[in-house]
Amino acid sequence: MTTTEPAPGGVPDNEIFVDGADWEDVVDAVVDDTITVNMGPQHPSTHGVLRLVLELDGETVLRVKPVVGYLHTGIEKNAEYRTWVQGTTFFTRMDYLAPLHNELAFCLGTERLLGIEVPERAQVIRVIMTEFNRIASHLVWLATGGMELGSTTMMTAGFREREHILDLFESQSGLRMNHAYIRPGGLAIDVTDDFTQRCEALLELLPKKIVEYEDLLLRNPIWNDRLRGIGIIDAERCYALGVTGPLLRAAGVPYDLRKAQPYSGIERFDFDVPTETAGDSFARFLVRIEEMRQSMRIIRQALDVLPGGPVMVEDREIAWPSQQALGPDGIGNDPEYIRHIMGESMESLINHFKLVTQGFTVPAGQVYEAIESPRGELGYAITSTGTNKPYRVHVREPSFVNLQAADEMSSGHMVSDVVVVVASLDPVMGGVDR
Amino acid sequence: MSDRQTTNVPDADHGLTGVAMSLEAIERRVQTRFPSLATDIAFGELTVHATPDTLVDLLGYCRDDAQLSCEMLADLSGVHWPAGEHIIDRQPSTTGWPEYRVSRERGVVEVLYVLRSMTRNHWFRVSVGTDDEQPRLPSVVDIYPTANFHEREVYDFFGVEFDGHPDLTRILMPDDWVGHPHRKDYPLGGVDIPYKNDKYIPPPDERKLREVIR
Repeated sequence: MTTTEPAPGGVPDNEIFVDGADWEDVVDAVVDDTITVNMGPQHPSTHGVLRLVLELDGETVLRVKPVVGYLHTGIEKNAEYRTWVQGTTFFTRMDYLAPLHNELAFCLGTERLLGIEVPERAQVIRVIMTEFNRIASHLVWLATGGMELGSTTMMTAGFREREHILDLFESQSGLRMNHAYIRPGGLAIDVTDDFTQRCEALLELLPKKIVEYEDLLLRNPIWNDRLRGIGIIDAERCYALGVTGPLLRAAGVPYDLRKAQPYSGIERFDFDVPTETAGDSFARFLVRIEEMRQSMRIIRQALDVLPGGPVMVEDREIAWPSQQALGPDGIGNDPEYIRHIMGESMESLINHFKLVTQGFTVPAGQVYEAIESPRGELGYAITSTGTNKPYRVHVREPSFVNLQAADEMSSGHMVSDVVVVVASLDPVMGGVDR
Repeated sequence: MSDRQTTNVPDADHGLTGVAMSLEAIERRVQTRFPSLATDIAFGELTVHATPDTLVDLLGYCRDDAQLSCEMLADLSGVHWPAGEHIIDRQPSTTGWPEYRVSRERGVVEVLYVLRSMTRNHWFRVSVGTDDEQPRLPSVVDIYPTANFHEREVYDFFGVEFDGHPDLTRILMPDDWVGHPHRKDYPLGGVDIPYKNDKYIPPPDERKLREVIR
C-alpha cells in the first residue's frame, strides 16, 4: 500500500511510504519526480567554467539555470586604478577569443571622449585585424563545438587554421593573444613590410579550408541530427532577452552593428549580413560559416585601399611617445629611440616619462560605444571625470547577455542537447565573468 | 523563465524598415509624454534623466511606442558617485591609486539603461539615480526580461535592490561575499579572502615533496 501523507507539520508533502506495493503505484503516487542535476563548472562540454543547474524530468530538461562568476577577475574595477592606455591591456583579456574587438571598442569610446580622429591607415588596419579575429573566433567555435559533439576531426582542423591567424597576430603585435595592439589614438606599432603578403596567403588558404569544413559537416548525418531543430529561439524572444550576434541573425533579423552603426570606416567596404530563418543551432552554424566568408571579403577590399601614413595621432599629448620595435620576444622599445631620449633630447625624455607614468587626461563625460564582436553587441559604457584614469568602465558582454537564453533554448530537449545549445550560444567565460 | 512577456513584434520581414529618429526628435517625443524629465545631449548621445517613480512608465512607453520602438534593452550598468569632495591621491595596499574629481552633496548610485531600437536603428540612454545609503529602484524585468542578469550584476556590485526582481542574488561574486565591490568606498586589494584552507603556499622552489603530499 502506498500513500501520500497530508503533511501534519514537519513532514514534507511529497514524502512517499513504500511498503511492498507495485512499482507502478509508487511512481503514480509521486507528485513531483523532477530531479536537479549539477553540470559543471568543471565539465568538458560547458565551454569553460560555466555551471548549469539542470532541472530534469527523466531525460527531458525542464529548466536550465546558468551559474556564472567562477572566472570573475574584477577587470572593470582594476581599470579604475590604471591609466587609459593601461586599460587596453586589461580589456583585451576579457573575451580572450576576441581580444582585438575588446581593445577596439574601448579605444573607440576613449577616442570619442577625447574628440580625436584616428589616422586612416590605423583605421583600415583595425578593420583587417578585427575581421581576422572574427574568423579566428568562429574557427574556435567550430572546433570546440565540433569536439563537444564528438567530431574531433573538426576540432583539430579548426584549431589548425586558427593558428595561422594567430601567427599573423604574433607577427604584427608580438603576441598570439591579449595583444594590447589597438591603443587610444591608433595602433601600438605599424604593420611589418610583409603584412600584405601574409594576409593574402591567409585569404588564399582559408576559403579552401572552409569548403573542407562544409564537406565534413554540411551533409554529415550526425551533425544534422544533433543540430537541426535544437535550441530554437525566434526574433521576438531574442529582442526580449537581449540576444544579439549570430543568434539574432540565425533567427532572421539582419541586424549587424557594422551596418547599423559603422565604426572605423567599415561602411566603405561591401559585404552582406548573412541570415537564416530557422533560428536553430544548424542555422547558427550556417550563419557563422558565411560570416567568415564575408569577413574575408572585407579584408580583401581593405588590403586594396590600405593607405600610407602614420598609425598614431600626431598629438604629442596623447600619442604613446615610445617608438616600438618588434623583436623575437614581443614588442619592445626601439634601440634608436632609446638612444635619442637618453642621449640627445632631455625634453623628449620628460615627455616620455610623463606620458608613460601619468598618461593623458580625458574630458569628463559618459559614452556608450558598441561594436559587433563575433558573439554580438560588445558595448563599453565609459564614464570619465576628467582625469588620467577611467572613473568607471562597464562592459556589455554579448556572452553574458546571450547566456540568459540558455534556459528557453534547452527546455523541452534532452540532456544531451543542452551541450548543443551551449555550444551554439558560444559563450566565452572570460567575457561572461570579466 | 516564467515571464512570457510579449514585446514589440518586429516587422514582418524583420528588416531595418523604420526610419531612425534624430536625437532631438527622440528628446521631443519623450518630453511630450514625460514633460518633467530633463534631457541632455553630449558626445552625440542622448541621455534622459528619469526618476525612480517614472522609470517603469518611461521604459514601458519607449518599448511600446510606435515611433520610439525600443525593442531591446542593450545595456544596464551602474556608476557610484560618493558624497563629499573627492580628489583621492593615494590609497595604501593597492596596486594603483584612483584619481577622480567628484564633488556631491548626496551620494548617488546612478543606473544607466541603454535602449536600442533595431527596427529603427537609433538608441539613447536613460539615467536614474538612487541614494547610495539605501539604493533601491523598481525592477524592469517585466518590461525587458534581459534585465534579469544585468540587475543582478548591479545589485552584486553596487547593492541596488531592485523591487520586483524574480531572483535578486549575487551573480559574479561568491554568494557569501560581504560588500559591493564597485562602490568607490570599496578598496582594490587588501581585502581578506575568507577561503577555507587558506594556508600559506610556498613558491615552487621552496616546496618539499612531503609537504605537497600532506
